[in-house]
Amino acid sequence: MRRIKFKLKNPFRGSKAWLWFILFGALACIFVASAGNELMDYTSTDEYCMSCHIHPHADQSWKLSSHYDNSSGVITHCAECHLPPKGHGYLPAKIKHGFNDVYGMLFKDSADFNWEEKRKFEKAQHFVYQESCLKCHGNLFPSTLSPEGDDAHLYFLTSKKELSCINCHLHVGHFDPNAKHEHNLSFGDSTIVGQIYTEATPVTEFKNFEEKIPGTDVSFDMVAIPGGTFEMGSPEDEPLRDPDEGPVRKVKVSRFFMGQAEISWDEYLAFFQATSSQGRKESMEENELDGISGPTPPWGAPDQGWGKGKRPAITMTWHAANVYCKWLSQVTGKKYRLPTEAEWEYACRAGTQTPYPFEGSPRDYSSKGFIRKIFAPDTTIINSFVIYDQNSEGKTKEPGDVKANPFGLKNMLGNVAEFCSDNYNPGTYASYKDAITVDPRGPKKGREYVMRGGSFKSDAKDVRSAARDFTRTTDWLMTDPQMPKSIWWYSDVLEVGFRVVCEADSLVAR
Amino acid sequence: MTDQSKNINRRHFLGAATLAGIGVLGVNAVLSSCKAKNTNKVLGLPPILSGAPDGKPLKAGLVGTGNRGTGAAINFISAGPGLNVVALADVFQDKVDACRKRFEKYNLPIPEENCFVGFDAYKKLMALPDIDVVILATPPKFRPEHFKEAVLQKKHVFLEKPVAVDPVGIRSVIATAKKAEAIGLNVVTGTQRRHQEDYLETYKQVANGAIGQITSAKAYWNQNHVWFRTREEGWDDMTYLVRNWNNYCWLCGDHILDTHIHNIDVVNWFLGMHPESAIGYGGRARRITGDQYDFFSIDFDYGNGVSSHSMCRQIDNCANGTGEIVNGTEGYTNCQNTIWNLDGTVKWKFEYPKDKNGQPMNQIKIPPYVQEHMHLVHAIRTGEYVNYAEETAASNLTAIMGRTAAYTGKKITWDEMFESDMELGPKEVKFGPVDMEFPVPVPGTQHNG
Repeated sequence: MRRIKFKLKNPFRGSKAWLWFILFGALACIFVASAGNELMDYTSTDEYCMSCHIHPHADQSWKLSSHYDNSSGVITHCAECHLPPKGHGYLPAKIKHGFNDVYGMLFKDSADFNWEEKRKFEKAQHFVYQESCLKCHGNLFPSTLSPEGDDAHLYFLTSKKELSCINCHLHVGHFDPNAKHEHNLSFGDSTIVGQIYTEATPVTEFKNFEEKIPGTDVSFDMVAIPGGTFEMGSPEDEPLRDPDEGPVRKVKVSRFFMGQAEISWDEYLAFFQATSSQGRKESMEENELDGISGPTPPWGAPDQGWGKGKRPAITMTWHAANVYCKWLSQVTGKKYRLPTEAEWEYACRAGTQTPYPFEGSPRDYSSKGFIRKIFAPDTTIINSFVIYDQNSEGKTKEPGDVKANPFGLKNMLGNVAEFCSDNYNPGTYASYKDAITVDPRGPKKGREYVMRGGSFKSDAKDVRSAARDFTRTTDWLMTDPQMPKSIWWYSDVLEVGFRVVCEADSLVAR
Repeated sequence: MTDQSKNINRRHFLGAATLAGIGVLGVNAVLSSCKAKNTNKVLGLPPILSGAPDGKPLKAGLVGTGNRGTGAAINFISAGPGLNVVALADVFQDKVDACRKRFEKYNLPIPEENCFVGFDAYKKLMALPDIDVVILATPPKFRPEHFKEAVLQKKHVFLEKPVAVDPVGIRSVIATAKKAEAIGLNVVTGTQRRHQEDYLETYKQVANGAIGQITSAKAYWNQNHVWFRTREEGWDDMTYLVRNWNNYCWLCGDHILDTHIHNIDVVNWFLGMHPESAIGYGGRARRITGDQYDFFSIDFDYGNGVSSHSMCRQIDNCANGTGEIVNGTEGYTNCQNTIWNLDGTVKWKFEYPKDKNGQPMNQIKIPPYVQEHMHLVHAIRTGEYVNYAEETAASNLTAIMGRTAAYTGKKITWDEMFESDMELGPKEVKFGPVDMEFPVPVPGTQHNG
């Protein structure tokens, strides 16, 4: 006993103590490392993920997806997509998501999460890793790939913009019965339920009317907007304004009719059914009288599965909106078109010269900035008029959910950003030199078009009457896998739509 | 970087081997530090062989049994030991018969049951399990479809140029090339200057800095009129069109693709890139049949002030000649065998082999038409992978860009060509009447194919 004790004690006291120190140290390291490795692996198992991530729908949709239910019998686990592979920032990503998850578990209620929104690309790109896709999918050109797949993958390889696999393959990890990875050839097929109108509404007086689209059961309300003069743009002291909203100009606008609400899916689908074409007609002649060739079938579900009906139609291109107006003019015998930017702002303001056509300051409504994160703004008034990021839950809404402006128009601000007929130029107003500019139509030339009103995604800053925005054709068609890209549907923007105006003078004598 | 990740690295697309440029810095350094033996590989050049290595016997099927097809098939069997052509496919019976007769003359009979006729003949041929290699030499319109089927049936491929007549076809060929690469199927194309020893040696000189930095280029293929067929009694529309394919754009692609592609390909090769855009002229003065032009003159813009003048003409009694000139800051070259200093004195000349009398011949020992098949067989038998389809497709698309610039009169960019949905020809190819009109393209108006 003494000897053993001696033997054990001695090395720590003796001159070789450091040797033992190193040995124990090394053993401890190995133990910690292997345990750490175990821990690392354990905390990336499906069971561990699901122990905190209380989202049974995600588990179910995963099991229905091609990453679980497939002919090869391979199961792709949570962390194989939601973390990058080792050697591609695995640890930092794990730490980042770990912190996020712990914070979420402690301070948030998973029932409050907008899961549907998290499935959209904007959110999903932050927790699905490209390297992880490519780790398993090493061959982008399997010999059975379709011609459409050929083009799409060639586009992926040659695109100058960073593209992500889930730009196109968003639903492969979690099954979505509504998502289709194909041209939606049955899009807009519907059975007519109501009375079929045989003729458009005759208009003889300058007052509100209900337009009926002949050959369909679709009708919509048009509001008579009397002509007038107003101050276009925002004064320099308007809170949160942008420089392109000035200088303020006095503008006179002639009377016109304007759609009470944004074009609905019912209305747009009437057009789609009447004109949709399988082929492409790139260069439609101006004023072509017969045979208007309309949109090609969209890719997937342009309504995002939110529902159609009275919800505003979205994701059509400016070109498509323009062709819609030509078609509507043809079937109704009236002159429909997109509003000019001046008409739009005049109609939106409806006699007001304040930032909004209702009470309140952008500074109070905006949720931008640190203070607003802590003290939520009082938004009762704006909420009753506008669908924007604070009340939209990431979706469009039906016009019945909001109050009308003094002219009787709904959703001028918010819901979807609306196309105008003008080309966009930040210096447009400065180019108006007259004391009163009459019915301006914007710059003669340009590549992009004006968009007004902000959308369900906008902050209160961008749903002011004077706020200007514009189309971004290249970005909005970034992931369109077709060559060449669609002229009918934007692939990468949800929040665009339009409303129509109808020229009054050709219908009603002054 | 692993080979697998290479496959999906964007920058690799149409990269490395394809456009391994002389402009790329560091080539000099690489060259000087390498043994001469390795320079071909380093520069992405094929090995120059005196014959294909022996190995497992290879059986080839020929699709398109006209003059070029039959020639290519004979080139194939003369490339080395153990090489046979065992099956034929063509749209027309008389073409198959003529080709079969020629092989019989060489005492190389091809069994009747392996000879297929019709627009689907290629499918039947490629379905034969014991065929290793297919030689695709029909009019180029059909090449993308044939190439796709060949790779689906897991055959190595000799792909005659042009590889397609329109951008839709080009993209199909590029995608099929990538599919072939993924499963290790070798592809050699018929742009034979890339297998011609004198061109290869000149390229090495230029890559080594012999003419300094490249500033401009010129490519030309000016010749007499080419063949045409007049319609015979009993021919339906499609029979006539396919028999006279060389004069219809949807089948041939026009002569800027058919022949001038060789010169365009050499310029792209020596410059190490494809042009960014093209502006050009063209017209038709002497042709009797078809819808194509007699002449093209195209300015290809490679960016940074570098451009190449490309011209081609098929009219008798004019100044004729074919070739390429590449100009640099320190000299210029004909790309084939000579490098001149800026003052016109010869800086370097390729040494051709000597004949029986000790006089230098004016050509290399092994014709490039055979050398390319040696390379294909070499690749199959040694496992040293080769695939030229993508770079030939790039030169082919360059030619299409030039053609479109001339037909429309507009400036045409590479990007719009690459993404174009231009697809020439009828929706369905079958015998009988063809509902197409063949207007000659007029610059300043849209060419709809």
